[in-house]
Amino acid sequence: MKTRALTLAMVVLSGCCLASVAVPQNTSSQKPTAGARSTAQQAKEGERRFQANCGRCHNPPELISPREVKAVVQHMRVRAMLSAEDEQLILKYLAP
Amino acid sequence: MSLCKNALGTLLLFFCTAPALLGQSDTPILSGTVQFLGTTNAGSTFYQPVIVPVLAVPLGDHFLVEARGEIQGFIARENGTTGPYSGQFIATFDYAQLDYIANSHVTISVGRFLTPFDVYNERYNAPWIRNLQDAPILFAIGTRTSGSSNGAMVRGVAVARKKFEVNYTAYFSAATTVENLGAGRAAGGRVGIFFPDKGLEIGTSYQRFLQSGDSNASGFYLLWQPPSVPLDIRSEFAHSPSGHGYWLESAYRFARDRRNMSGIGRLQVVARMQQYFSGTPLAGDSLPTADTNRFDFGLNYYLQHDVRLNGSYGRQFSSLGNANIWEYGITYRFLFPAWPGRSR
Repeated sequence: MKTRALTLAMVVLSGCCLASVAVPQNTSSQKPTAGARSTAQQAKEGERRFQANCGRCHNPPELISPREVKAVVQHMRVRAMLSAEDEQLILKYLAP
Repeated sequence: MSLCKNALGTLLLFFCTAPALLGQSDTPILSGTVQFLGTTNAGSTFYQPVIVPVLAVPLGDHFLVEARGEIQGFIARENGTTGPYSGQFIATFDYAQLDYIANSHVTISVGRFLTPFDVYNERYNAPWIRNLQDAPILFAIGTRTSGSSNGAMVRGVAVARKKFEVNYTAYFSAATTVENLGAGRAAGGRVGIFFPDKGLEIGTSYQRFLQSGDSNASGFYLLWQPPSVPLDIRSEFAHSPSGHGYWLESAYRFARDRRNMSGIGRLQVVARMQQYFSGTPLAGDSLPTADTNRFDFGLNYYLQHDVRLNGSYGRQFSSLGNANIWEYGITYRFLFPAWPGRSR
């Protein structure tokens, strides 16, 4: 009985963890045109920030898939002293 | 026993499914550089195959593990200019650190990290980023004993405005003599101010070396990439009891946009001048023991698929002997996910 309860608790806990990861993706996809417009503006500003910061040292990678972007930008935030705002906008530019 | 099995099963289920969901955001990456370099220095020719892998593993929004290694070969004639070629390989860890991104102003790093003195070591020493094959002569000032430090560092952007950003870093390193993981006992820091609209950054560094007889090193740097011209100017000045000097490098890319890979837009010309004035040599600083001047002129050609060809000529003037230095190489930069998963 005790074992079953613990197993159930672990399954629920795992489910909550996975759900918390999945939720932001759902909410962002529900935003309509105003959000899309805002995203486009952010991506444009992100391109400017990319040129001003990252472009100082190197070319952008030719191929960079969306699932690599977070690690790349987080890595460069630490290494190249990007501000938090720069990081977010460059993320929007590289993975709109 | 049954509880253990169930717990193990649940955890396995979690770890198997999490990467798929996290795949779009927290995928670790493996990037880096593969190079083959050739050098003829004062008549002696040697070759260096180099692999520099970089691993970055984000752990949520606040933690990041990052590491860079270097496997470098050195193939040369046994007697300098005569005899058969023989070689050896050396493997080193440049950095292996855990970063905690506390907030928008503070990041704390622990482990082994690149010593943040001036900017060449941290920003331009990566093979893909440096414009010329050789590091500047005064690179060893502020970065002894190995260019890396073992300890803790705090860094970040103290002030971020539209017109300017102030960045800082401060660190402490413990002395380590473990092979390939060496570091000196030192403390120091750096402050810089960056003007994004002007493409200008200036900053200053200080280091107190706390072993082998304490000593101070200080530095100043200037980086300028004017937005309207594809010019890249980098310069550093550094001073220590071993000596002092400066280097000034200018690179011109024949395209305003670095992504422009058409025709002559792939070409970059580079020139660098250096002056070094020797002082009292310190143990382990690997700096010249005589005043040295050097001028380099190079051409870089960026091919598609992140491949670069480079060639340069340098002339070094020193009371220990003048030398011509020819360098050439090919560099490939790679980047891919460190584990398989779906693409968005």
